[in-house]
Amino acid sequence: MISFVQVGKTYPDGTVAVAATDLTAESGRITVLVGPSGSGKTTLLRMVNRMIDPTSGEILIDGVDVRSKSAPELRRGIGYVIQNAGLFPHRTVLANVMTVPRLLGWSRDKARERAMELLTTVGLEESHAKRYPFQLSGGQQQRVGVARALAADPPVLLMDEPFSAVDPVVRKDLQTELLRLQSELSKTILFVTHDIDEAIQLGDKVAVLNTGGVLEQFDTPTELLAHPKNAFVESFLGVDRGVRRLSFFSSSGVPLRPEPVVAFDAPAAEVLARRGSQPWLLVVDGEHKPLGWLPADQVPADGDLSRVPVGDLTSYGHTFDAETDSLRAALDSAILSPSSRAVGVGDGGRVIGVASVEELVPAIRAAQDGSTPAAIRGDSPDAEPIGGSGIGDTVSEISDAVPDTGTGENPETV
Amino acid sequence: MRSAGLFPHIPSYLGTYGSLIQQQLTMALLSVLFGLILAMPVALLCVRFPKIYAPVVGLLTVIYSLPSIALFVLLVPSTGLTQTTVIIPLSFYSLAALVPNIVEGVRGIPEDVRLAAVAMGYTGARRLIAVDLPLAVPPIMAGLRVATVGNVSMVSVGTVIGVGAFGALFTAAAQLSRSDLAITGIVVIVALALACDLLLVVTQRLLTPWNKRRSA
Amino acid sequence: MNVLSQAWGWLTTAANWHGSDGIPTRFLQHFEYSVEAVLIGALIAFPLGLLTGHVKRGGLLVTSLANVARALPTLGLVVLLVVVMGVKFRAVMIPLVALTVPPILLNTYEGVRNVDPQLTDAAKGMGLRPWQVLWRAEVPAALPLILTGFQFAAVNAVANTAIAAYSSFGGLGRFVIDGLATTDYGMVAGGAILIVIAAILNLVFFAVLRKLLVSPGLRQKKQTV
Repeated sequence: MISFVQVGKTYPDGTVAVAATDLTAESGRITVLVGPSGSGKTTLLRMVNRMIDPTSGEILIDGVDVRSKSAPELRRGIGYVIQNAGLFPHRTVLANVMTVPRLLGWSRDKARERAMELLTTVGLEESHAKRYPFQLSGGQQQRVGVARALAADPPVLLMDEPFSAVDPVVRKDLQTELLRLQSELSKTILFVTHDIDEAIQLGDKVAVLNTGGVLEQFDTPTELLAHPKNAFVESFLGVDRGVRRLSFFSSSGVPLRPEPVVAFDAPAAEVLARRGSQPWLLVVDGEHKPLGWLPADQVPADGDLSRVPVGDLTSYGHTFDAETDSLRAALDSAILSPSSRAVGVGDGGRVIGVASVEELVPAIRAAQDGSTPAAIRGDSPDAEPIGGSGIGDTVSEISDAVPDTGTGENPETV
Repeated sequence: MRSAGLFPHIPSYLGTYGSLIQQQLTMALLSVLFGLILAMPVALLCVRFPKIYAPVVGLLTVIYSLPSIALFVLLVPSTGLTQTTVIIPLSFYSLAALVPNIVEGVRGIPEDVRLAAVAMGYTGARRLIAVDLPLAVPPIMAGLRVATVGNVSMVSVGTVIGVGAFGALFTAAAQLSRSDLAITGIVVIVALALACDLLLVVTQRLLTPWNKRRSA
Repeated sequence: MNVLSQAWGWLTTAANWHGSDGIPTRFLQHFEYSVEAVLIGALIAFPLGLLTGHVKRGGLLVTSLANVARALPTLGLVVLLVVVMGVKFRAVMIPLVALTVPPILLNTYEGVRNVDPQLTDAAKGMGLRPWQVLWRAEVPAALPLILTGFQFAAVNAVANTAIAAYSSFGGLGRFVIDGLATTDYGMVAGGAILIVIAAILNLVFFAVLRKLLVSPGLRQKKQTV
């Protein structure tokens, strides 16, 4: 556990980098410091391993003041990952990872063994060990940076914008990888970023900092999205926080109706019966995987669906996994589909049923009412929330369900 | 004959201050000029064909390492006890100092600027003259400064073959055991070199008004 | 050609390879003076370059010093000091050292100063002590440039040791000066060729040193610059 007690940093010229801040980063959790530049987030982080000394207050790791040890000794017990990894260019990947264990006096063999093990842990291959940093991509270098920080198995990890210099696709990988690692290792991680999406995806708790080092709010991501304390936090979260918060809720509560789902080779009588009761039919193949939507008025009069070319079916956009995906994925699936219906699938992509936007509303409502979110993290499809354009009549339904975040109203009253 | 002043009477067979300064600058600056004229095509070839750059730099390093005194005396049989004998090696030193700077200068032009120039329709020589070379001025000037300062000072070694301009004062100082002549020679040469340097700095400011930042 | 045959004649005269003014003796003298000039220069310049580069201060002083040193006429300095002090080792070593200090200082300063700040930050953050940051991160990363500085210093030393012979000083320059005085052109050209050989051997030495000392992890970088 890292505790900041009334920690402040004022530079000799009077600039306040960090205003007296109290903050606790819990053990085994990821605590994210997020804010615009000049908000003192990096300063706060660098105070923990004494790269910067505070001008007031104290920082305790598991109750022990960080100043009770010499700075180098303290730092050897804390992992440190920075933006461009900062690898030693003149040393091989292996030697880079061995640095801290060697400083701590481990034998060469033991350090080497540990380093090789870590390279695998962070998703690199053994063949990378003998390479030099310039021979690696940015993402690989960052993985080495993480391995190097973990080498001596420190309980605390400081990560200062570690993923901001790599391209979005690689960043996504590294974020997912970090969450996977954390689920195995349970380190106490303090993570700095200026990217609120990254903060919300990675943080068990997120501290939003404002210019001048003022801590505006310190909460779980879902609390933050549901109840931003003030206008700054709200604007920093962006206009789609309502939709984004749905990432934290399981779609398992979504009622999935099997009635509109028909196999392409279903008996004509069944098809015709369904056509009478449903405006859209979802045609599935022999393995019960979706092929596409068919409006009721385009169902052949003889009820023989096998005659309809797959190309004539309307695309279903994407499906969502009813077990593991979030409400956000379900909503996105519905919005992207021309039928305004989300397709829920189970094992092996077999369709379980469909839900219209209207049918999603109660589940969304329940989420907005502050029920405890199910543990859904990092595995939602990378679906960007959809704005108001091009979705026709579904927009009004959605804007009913999702609080309008642009106006600064208290979302609870929406 | 000793005089305490900074500009003592110099033996008349050496000439006057004016004539010595003129000789010193002529040899030094002509060498820089010839070096620059040679360096441009060599550097542009290196930019065009990057593969030849490393060997060219290697060769230039070798040339730069050859001591001037050795080159002077080896050239005497061909070019005689003339200023040409001094100017040839110094031109090659200038070449060695300039080529890497021109290459790095042209290569260091930001990719977006280069692309913008191409996108606007600049081609070949026009792009070189209108965009590439002006932007490469700071590193090229840095090379010119190194070459000029070095040459002004190195001309004096020519006195071993009798064409050293102010270097003649050193010969006289040694023969007559007159430290004042040596001091004067050193002071005047350093002053000339630094004056040329200053002139180049001012020229660079005038050539690159867009560079507000002071160049080192 | 006449010059070459004269030089060849002189170089192949057995008598020139013996005694206190024989080629091997002069060669060793040249080597000794150059090495001493570089070592003394390094003793002064290297720590100063590390210090200024590490704290990233004093750049103007370092670059101005290098500029002034470039402007200093070695020959004038040698003559002056010999006139004032007499023919002494020190009288010649001072100008030589004055010309080995600036390249070592300038390149060490630039090299260390320009080490990626992320690298030093990471090194500190991992718990390297200040000395370890300098020796294990900054110096190895700056080594290519530092070696270039030493190479320039050695080039200066070899060239100026030759010039220093003008004041009754040993080394290979002796042949050139004495040859000119006695109009023995074979000796002049032979001496000049030996000086050229010494200069090239110096470069070969540094090429080998670079291969041995500079990490392959940095070599690639140098090529892409």
